[in-house]
Amino acid sequence: MKINLSQFRQTFLQESADHIASMETGLLELRSAPADIELLDSIFRAAHSIKGGAGSFGMTNLVRFTHSLENLLDRLRSLEMQATDEVIDILLRSVDMLRGLLAADVDAAMPADALELDERITALLPSETSPAEAAPEETPELVEDTRKMVLYKVEFRPDRELFASGTNPIVLLRNLAALGTVSCCHVHCEELPTLAELDPSQCYLSWTMELASLCEEAELREVFEFVEHLAEVRISCSDALQQSGSTLSQESAAAHDPALASAGAATELVERRKAPVADRRQSDVKDRRQSAGRPSTSGESGSIRVATDKVDRLIDLVGELVIAHVMTAQMVEDFEPSCLPRLREAVAAMERNTRELHERVMGIRMLPVGSLFQRYTRTVYDIAQATGKQIGLETNGEETEIDKSMLELLGDPLTHLIRNAADHGIESVEVREAAGKPAEGVISLRAFHRSGRIVIEVSDDGAGIDTDRVRRKAIERGLIGPDAQMSDEQLQMLIFEPGFSTREEVSDLSGRGVGMDVVKRNVQQMNGTVTLVSEKGRGSTVSIELPLTLAILEGLLVRVSDRTLVLPLLSVIETVPLRSEQIVRVAEKGEVVVIRNESVPLLRLSKFLGLAPQSAEVDAVNGNANLRRLAVIVQSGQKKIGLVVDELLGQQQVVVKSLERNLRRIDGLMGATILGDGCVAPIVDVTAIGALNLYSLQASTKVSPQIAASVRAAGAASI
Amino acid sequence: MRTVLIVDDSVSMRQMVGYTLREGGYEVIEAEHGADALNKLAGATVDLIITDLNMPVMDGITLIQNVRNLPAMKTKPILMLTTEGLAAKKEQGKAAGATGWIVKPFDPEKLLQTVAKVLP
Repeated sequence: MKINLSQFRQTFLQESADHIASMETGLLELRSAPADIELLDSIFRAAHSIKGGAGSFGMTNLVRFTHSLENLLDRLRSLEMQATDEVIDILLRSVDMLRGLLAADVDAAMPADALELDERITALLPSETSPAEAAPEETPELVEDTRKMVLYKVEFRPDRELFASGTNPIVLLRNLAALGTVSCCHVHCEELPTLAELDPSQCYLSWTMELASLCEEAELREVFEFVEHLAEVRISCSDALQQSGSTLSQESAAAHDPALASAGAATELVERRKAPVADRRQSDVKDRRQSAGRPSTSGESGSIRVATDKVDRLIDLVGELVIAHVMTAQMVEDFEPSCLPRLREAVAAMERNTRELHERVMGIRMLPVGSLFQRYTRTVYDIAQATGKQIGLETNGEETEIDKSMLELLGDPLTHLIRNAADHGIESVEVREAAGKPAEGVISLRAFHRSGRIVIEVSDDGAGIDTDRVRRKAIERGLIGPDAQMSDEQLQMLIFEPGFSTREEVSDLSGRGVGMDVVKRNVQQMNGTVTLVSEKGRGSTVSIELPLTLAILEGLLVRVSDRTLVLPLLSVIETVPLRSEQIVRVAEKGEVVVIRNESVPLLRLSKFLGLAPQSAEVDAVNGNANLRRLAVIVQSGQKKIGLVVDELLGQQQVVVKSLERNLRRIDGLMGATILGDGCVAPIVDVTAIGALNLYSLQASTKVSPQIAASVRAAGAASI
Repeated sequence: MRTVLIVDDSVSMRQMVGYTLREGGYEVIEAEHGADALNKLAGATVDLIITDLNMPVMDGITLIQNVRNLPAMKTKPILMLTTEGLAAKKEQGKAAGATGWIVKPFDPEKLLQTVAKVLP
């Protein structure tokens, strides 16, 4: 029988990636608790598990490297060595190396840097330990036919305590018998006490067996491998077969111990047990595969681990949906008006099903952000090492779940924000102490839910943003005019503009050619918003607000001119009828509507999107109140904007289709959807609209012809 | 059919040992660590335990000691599944009541042979 274990490779890779991540986290924690045995133990276990599995897949480089690593970790956990900063540094490098080796080709030679690191690890170990070779055990060679038949006499005298080790002597004797032909087996009962004195948990018997076999003595000894310490085993042999205990036949052996009636039968028994069970489905293993609770951090594989009960529920739901469909189809087939209430009911049931199915399918894609947060401890550590600053990272809300694709998209922006906070935000120890702050700067990374959205916050207690410097820079770069009137908040948001960098020299750590504009762009790509609050001398907080999921949203359908548009319902605060007397025109700046003493800037969607204005529009603008218009007040980040629409059509879940796939990216639209009647409706990107400088947009009487053309194209596209 | 309880904190290791044993015609129960194993033992009849030694919550040695105190498991075989080349660990396991051991990485055929060695 050949059993192939390669099918488990993927699980192993994923699991090892998890182990590597937890080793890294553990090592970073170790810095503040270098003698925490429990921590050291868990790091050791992770390395140990990787080594154990790697061997099964022939990943010899990984086995070799983890072996040295394991030696070092073993010394640490037994406190024979101390986890000094140097040791931790080497261990952290080793973690990076493990990652590389895990991804490397199985047949690749051991990389030079791995060898070098391996030597450094070995050098740390006390000299008397020469690391044992961890090569996988060789499988025993086949028994050669040239071997001689030998007659063995095996004496087996177990200790009284044999049973306590879970050993069954009969099994041992049968295994021994299977190695040859038994000519005699004698059981010695001399030590057996009277029944009253007998303790059934003790072994009082011993055996002598005569066996003709082609095996070496060592192979016979191997049968007793596990009981060497619990029994006396004596094996003697004579080459001459004719000297065997000829007076004892096989029948006499059977008389002594019926369990050993014949060696042949015993062999057969073992063989039968080893035979494969043909009808066992391989998928059994997969079915039983358990969810490991924690999601994988490895980005390279496109798979998600899902708990079986989640999948079971999905299957149930699909089943219900199929039933509901059959029922509906039947009613439609022989339809009479009296069926209508039942039909309605069936459709309602289908809707409930679909909705739940949607939620649960989306739920599968949700992963806790903790796995992402984990990696930044290392980022912060590296920066602190490189800059000589003292920086701690606090994380909070790791269990908050987020769509898997967003989790991937978030990686880079967060890295950038954290690097920025550590490199530019947190001051050097001297500066901090001079300012009366604790020497260690703290970067805090939090995730939480806020009104149906997910907020991820990166804050630091560093220097904050110097708005004067931002202003100078922005003027220098031509982003704003020399005498532009801007609030501190507006100035601070300028750092998210493309090409903005307050540092003269791009730092090696946070520089890397990407600016904060990339952060903003990535977040907007996820229909999210970025806001920044900073106080000079006290630190900064960047909040990223994201929708729960990307693919489906609750939409408000509105009519603008002759076109149906969708507004994301989550951004909608309220809808107010618009009377011309409420509209205030601010010279050079555009229109605002005053609602409960708050003035909200207005944006005429028809104009913005370049849709043909209805003939009455001009009248309305001119103060003709005959036409009823509505303003949908939406929230974009901290801003409120009133979108002028002609009519509200209703509320509906819409599936977001990307425009970029068919057309190209259009500012102001996040995509389009297909309505129940087959029409294409563009979805307004409230976030992008919020980012516009509304006043300047409205001040110019002409809309960019580009946008207008794009909207027409999007509307005309039929799918 | 005989039932084997596999105790290992590594999912892939449990899968590999589990698959091998199922192919060999055994029923398999899995546990993540010693404490989990003791829970599983309360609800099932097990003919053999194969356990890792290094595990969180409750390690293999402690598990073996605990299992030997269960009346139903006093004389059932227990195999240690371990990469430990160290004789000390093996001795510790044997002293706790382990029947034998399987070395990781394991050869599937050899694993089945070893299991056959201790199971009646």
